[in-house]
Amino acid sequence: MGNGHTEHKTLVERLQFIDRRIIFVFIGLAVVIPLLFGAVLKEETTPIVQTFFDTIEGLPEGSRVLLSFDYGPTTAPEIQPMVDAIVRQCAHRKSKMYMMALWATGDNLTGETIEKVLKPEFPDYKYGTDYINLGYQTGNQGLIRVLLVDFKMMYAVDASGTDVDSIPMMKNIRNLKNFDLIVSFGGGSPGIKEWVLYAGDPGKIPVGGGCTAVSAPLLYPYYPNQLIGLLGGAKGAAEYENALINAYPEYKGRKMAGMKLMMSQAVSHVVIMFFILFGNILYFIQRSRDKSRSMEAGR
Amino acid sequence: MNAGKLLSYIILAIVVIAFVVSIALKGFLVTVGAFLTLFIFSFLYKDNPYYKFAEHLFVGASAAYWMSMGFWKTMVPNLFGKLYPPMVAWAVPALKNNPAQPLMLIPLVLGILLLMRLSSKAGWISRWALAFIVGTTAGLNLVRYLRSDFIQQINNTVFSLYVTNASGFDLGATISNVIIFGGVICGLIYFFFSKEHKGAFGAGARTGIIVLMITFGASFGYTVMARISLLVGRMQFLFGDWLGMIR
Amino acid sequence: MKDRLKLVVFLTVIAFIIQATVAFAQSEGETADSVISEQPVTPPPKPVIVSGEDIPNDNGHKLKLNWEYPAEWNDSIVRFEIYRADSPDGDFRRLGEAAGGIFSYLDIGSKKKDDPNYMPNDQNLYYRVDAVSKSGVTVQSEIGGPFQTSGQWFHKGKVPVLIGVVLFAIFTIYFIRSARKGKDLYIRPLAGIEAVDEAIGRATEMGKPILYVLGIGGASDIATIASFTILGRVAKKVAEYQTALTVPCYDPIVMSVAQDVVRSAYLEAGRPDQYSDDLVFFVTNAQFAYVAGINGIMVRDLPATNFYLGYFAAESLILAETGNSIGAIQIAGTDQITQIPFFVVACDYTLIGEELYAASAYLGRDPLLLGALKAEDWGKAIAMVLIIVGVLATAFGWDAFREFLRVNL
Repeated sequence: MGNGHTEHKTLVERLQFIDRRIIFVFIGLAVVIPLLFGAVLKEETTPIVQTFFDTIEGLPEGSRVLLSFDYGPTTAPEIQPMVDAIVRQCAHRKSKMYMMALWATGDNLTGETIEKVLKPEFPDYKYGTDYINLGYQTGNQGLIRVLLVDFKMMYAVDASGTDVDSIPMMKNIRNLKNFDLIVSFGGGSPGIKEWVLYAGDPGKIPVGGGCTAVSAPLLYPYYPNQLIGLLGGAKGAAEYENALINAYPEYKGRKMAGMKLMMSQAVSHVVIMFFILFGNILYFIQRSRDKSRSMEAGR
Repeated sequence: MNAGKLLSYIILAIVVIAFVVSIALKGFLVTVGAFLTLFIFSFLYKDNPYYKFAEHLFVGASAAYWMSMGFWKTMVPNLFGKLYPPMVAWAVPALKNNPAQPLMLIPLVLGILLLMRLSSKAGWISRWALAFIVGTTAGLNLVRYLRSDFIQQINNTVFSLYVTNASGFDLGATISNVIIFGGVICGLIYFFFSKEHKGAFGAGARTGIIVLMITFGASFGYTVMARISLLVGRMQFLFGDWLGMIR
Repeated sequence: MKDRLKLVVFLTVIAFIIQATVAFAQSEGETADSVISEQPVTPPPKPVIVSGEDIPNDNGHKLKLNWEYPAEWNDSIVRFEIYRADSPDGDFRRLGEAAGGIFSYLDIGSKKKDDPNYMPNDQNLYYRVDAVSKSGVTVQSEIGGPFQTSGQWFHKGKVPVLIGVVLFAIFTIYFIRSARKGKDLYIRPLAGIEAVDEAIGRATEMGKPILYVLGIGGASDIATIASFTILGRVAKKVAEYQTALTVPCYDPIVMSVAQDVVRSAYLEAGRPDQYSDDLVFFVTNAQFAYVAGINGIMVRDLPATNFYLGYFAAESLILAETGNSIGAIQIAGTDQITQIPFFVVACDYTLIGEELYAASAYLGRDPLLLGALKAEDWGKAIAMVLIIVGVLATAFGWDAFREFLRVNL
């Protein structure tokens, strides 16, 4: 009897201090299996995302939208689905897209977005009249401050070194106030917060953002007065894609990147929740055992 | 040769063969990306030379990337290109007719002062440039933060505690406004250091810490989502771009 | 205090009830209006320019032009074209257009004299608005003007920010001066700091070392500076108890400052002989390599107490988890909000955000830190009062208060 009790206890203890590599394997499987089956999870669009979508939807044809790529390859899996969705919507709305980057690593991602989304899906969109890649410029928040006063002081040439004065869509750009909307993609600093502080608030320019899930809680307080909307992590991206599908039926049935992310997310969240519950139950069993044992010892 | 050493040689041989086969089938760049990803993932099992190799490669490559970006995107167009445009005409022809800006001499001098840090004797001079950076940043930030993060945030918290919509009383919005209002006040009380947390004030502070903990919990959840997203991204690359198993 | 808090709660409830009553009363009296539009057949009338307003709080060169137009013509007008000239009989230059149904135009001129769109300040400007109908008929308005634009030196919309800066500066200077004069400024005890002595005592009893991690911030980061003060206190206790201390550093400058801090703490404790520069050493300047180095130290030396105080990024959880796995008592603190959750779950005590600064002021009693902390407390008190008063004012329908808080830039 006593022997059996010890064995049982060691099992609980062993489970409680389970090798973390086993948990890694479970998480890995939870992520990979939905991917292999190509499963997608549709997200209902929440107001904070819907208002963002509706703002772009409500822009008149030819409106100027500044897209700032303030992220790098390390967070691209999270951010890129948002970028793709918003670029598609802007192209449908026939907005003029001005792409720039506060992060040096955002430079290449801008080019990639143009090559992978804009050129193949919207062949009528022309460089210089419908969109422009201004590239990375140094200065962080200082850059935004200067752009608010004089855009061409910092962007005298575009990403490929062409004089911006020779580019038609740059003709009437004098400062940030000439833009109808600023959208920043990123999670770090400088990023959405700097755009709100140094451009949105002082210039009264609408700012929207797509950020990593890590930084989303820090940015929510700016909504709705200082940010027109915020896409937080993979969920925000999937919600935006849902809004896009609802508005543009040609995307119906298409497996969008954010929705694929969310399926793996959902399964792995269930696995994580299971481990949290499991660990807590074991902890409480162990604690009640320890308590009863110490009471026995005290007797 | 002991068993451990033999095993590590066998693993190395397998890695090399797999690498070569992969290059033949999938091309060089995808293969390098996939193997570096696997090397980094190997840390989940335990620390090993493959992980260290990938990590050092990453550190070195990113340092070099930032340095070259710093030169081509900052020094060339913003310093040399503004001081004396013809100097950079070979790199950025569009700038060559721009007027020279002698004012750019000031940042040039400050930059040189910063570099004095490398000298052990004249290192103190770099403090002047640092003082300029710290001073201007503090000045700029004070006003911006006070406006956007202090006054504007107070303004954002000043709202109606009783919310109505087209169909009358809006219970959900009312509850969320009451929670935000209470949460902000209690959070501020918690971070009030001039008074001991006793009595009603203590109750406010305790509520404040509960609010903070819930916020941290939500933030933790978001972080999990962020990290899983990154993992999904890598898995999509491994199983999709590399192995071609995802359509 | 309790009574005051009760009063606030009471007022809030009252405000809530009043607001609810007002809202109900308003919702009953609403009716819908319908507009009947007719399509006239006569030629379109002329637009009438009513005003040209100079935009306040700017450097001039900007004017808002307003005109009137009969509402029944809204549907038949495609656009209004706006023209400007220096004199009534001058050369009118086309500036832009406004869609039909819109009766104002913001004319943003250039301040450069050689620009064709040059718009001088403090000089007469004349405008003309042309209405273009669907059938292509264009009707010119009478010339409007003269109007003038002017620049202002002082931006009235920024007054709340000015008040805020001045108030905060006054508080900071006042409290720093008070602290310098030796006035006792009260700071409440912090749980994490109370635990410091206990944690050092535990390490001494167990005969194990203490690990102090300053994070990956530079020497000028506020969190690192706060951490230096706490390090001084910890090092002094450690020297008194003759316990081993290890301080691995990420930044060479941080390392040299930390060496000075620890050396003087040992001197203060009367044990300068026990100090050696090897206690505080440089590991590496690469984030994750630094973490790997510290993890190695933890696993090999098995410290009884770990301190993580300073600026931390993604390495926070890796550090705290390793420390937890070796069973050390852990005290953490950072101002990086995203990292605090990790410290909270994996450490015994966590100094949350500003508590880190408060802790260093509490321990160091440095007038500068104390004064700044007190000033911040006053800032928070003002924020609380403004929010509570603002919510009450909104409840009573007094929106002017909220408007005052809106910074107009």
